[in-house]
Amino acid sequence: MQTRTEKVMLIDDNDIDLKINSKVIALSKLFDDIIICRSGAEGLSYIKKHINHPNLLPQFILLDIQMPEMDGFEFLELYKNLPLSFLNSCKLAILSSTLDFGDIKKAEANPYVVRLLKKPLYPNELEEVLKATFNSAH
Amino acid sequence: MSSTTVRVLYIDDEENNLQAFRASFRRQYEIYTAISAQEGLEILQNIEMHVIIADQKMPNTTGVEFFKSIVHTHPDPIRILLTGYTDIEALADAINHGDIYRYIQKPWNDLELHNSIKNAYDAYKSKIDLRNKMQELEKTNDELNRFIYSISHELRAPLVSVLGILNLVKMEGLYNSSGEYWGLIEACSNKLDYYIQKTLQYYKNAKNVEEKSDIDFESLLKELIDLYTYIDIETVFTLNVNQPVKFKGDIFRVEVILGNLISNAVKYQKQTETHKKVNINIDVNAFEAIITIHDNGIGILKEHLEKIFSQFFKGNALNGSGLGLFIVKEALNKINGKITVNSTIEEGTTFKINIPNAN
Repeated sequence: MQTRTEKVMLIDDNDIDLKINSKVIALSKLFDDIIICRSGAEGLSYIKKHINHPNLLPQFILLDIQMPEMDGFEFLELYKNLPLSFLNSCKLAILSSTLDFGDIKKAEANPYVVRLLKKPLYPNELEEVLKATFNSAH
Repeated sequence: MSSTTVRVLYIDDEENNLQAFRASFRRQYEIYTAISAQEGLEILQNIEMHVIIADQKMPNTTGVEFFKSIVHTHPDPIRILLTGYTDIEALADAINHGDIYRYIQKPWNDLELHNSIKNAYDAYKSKIDLRNKMQELEKTNDELNRFIYSISHELRAPLVSVLGILNLVKMEGLYNSSGEYWGLIEACSNKLDYYIQKTLQYYKNAKNVEEKSDIDFESLLKELIDLYTYIDIETVFTLNVNQPVKFKGDIFRVEVILGNLISNAVKYQKQTETHKKVNINIDVNAFEAIITIHDNGIGILKEHLEKIFSQFFKGNALNGSGLGLFIVKEALNKINGKITVNSTIEEGTTFKINIPNAN
C-alpha cells in the first residue's frame, strides 16, 4: 500500500464541484492522484478497463448521488458486481449535497458505502473517514 | 351549465305511476323509468344519473334496499324515496343507510316533486363541484410539494459549491486578501443555506407521512450535538439519557425538534460567558419521552415567551430566521407532543418536551 501511489476517483456530473473537490484533495495531499469521472458509467468503464492493472485503480471513490441517467444508487447496484479483488481493495463514500432523509438513510444502509459525506468537502472530514476506514480494514 | 339536462331515474313496480311521472316531467327532465330494482340497476350501469327516485313498496327489492345496494357502486346520484304509507322504520333505515336526500309521500304533488328534483340536482352539482375542487387542490398540493422539494435541491447544489469555493479560499490563505469581502460572502451564503434547509424542513413536516421506527436517544443526541457544535466548540454539553425501555416514534420529526432546540441553545449564548453550557436530560418510559434542554444563554424576555413559537417571530434581531421554534411546534403538533418553556433573561432558558411513545 505504501509503495504505490494512492488514487481517489471522483464521480460527479457537476464540473464546478469536480474542480473544487479535486483542488481540496490536491491541497490536502490526502491522495497522490485523482481520477475524474463525469458520470457513473464513466467510472465503471474506467475500473473495468484497468481491472488487471491494480496500479491504475483507485483505493477510494467519492460518489455523488444526484446525477442524470445513472444516479449514485444505480451506480452502486452495478458496482457490487465488480470482481471481489477490486471491491476488497477499494472503499467508497458518498459525497452529496442531499438533505433528503430517504437518500441519507439509503446511503447509510448500503453495505458498500463507508460514509455519507456532505458537500462542501472538508479535508479534515475526509481525513477522518480515511483513517477510520483504512485502519479498521488493515 | 344551464344547457345540461337533468337525468332522472324513476323506479316503481306500478306501470301507471311510471306513466304519470313521465307525463308530468318529460318536458323538464330526461326521464328514465324502470319497473323493478333490477331494471333500474341496469339503466344505472349504462347511463350516468343525477337524481334517482324509488318507490319503497316493491316486490323482491324495496326502495331502501335498492338504495343501500348502490351506496358504494353509485354514490353520486341524489336519492329520493317515494312511499304511499308512513313507515317510520323504513324511513329511519333509509336515512341511516341509504344516503337518502328526501322523502316524499304518495300520491305526490307535482310541484313538490318538481322542487325536490330541482334541489336534488343542485345538491348533485355541489357534490361534483366539491369533488373537482378537492382533486384540483390535491393536484396543486402535490405540485407544490414537488416544486419546493426540487427547488430546495436545485437551489442548494450551487450554493454548496459556493461554500466549497469559500473553503478553498481559506485553504489557500486568501480569506483575508480582500478586506472583509470573503467573510461577507460566507455570512450571506450560510444564511441562505440556513433558510433553504429550514424551508425544506417545514415542507417535509407539513406532509402527513409518519414513519415509526426505534429511537435510541443517546446515539441520536450525540450525533445532533456533533452536528451543531461543529461551528462552535466553546459550548460544553452534558447529556444524561435514561432509556430503560424501547422508544418508537417518528424519527424525522424527533430529529427536527431536537436539532432546532440544540442549534438554538448553541446560537443564543452570551458573548461574554466563559462557561457556555447546555444540559440535556432525557427520561424514557413506556408512555413517553420527557426531554429537558437547559442552557445558560441570553434568555428570553417574558413578553416574548408567548410569541416565540409563531412564524417569523424573532426575539433577537441579529440572529435567526424566526422559523426554528415555529417548525419545532408544528412538528410536535404532528406527533402529539408538548413543549413548555421557562426562561430568565441573562440567565438561561429551559425547554421541556414530552413525546408520546408509540411502542
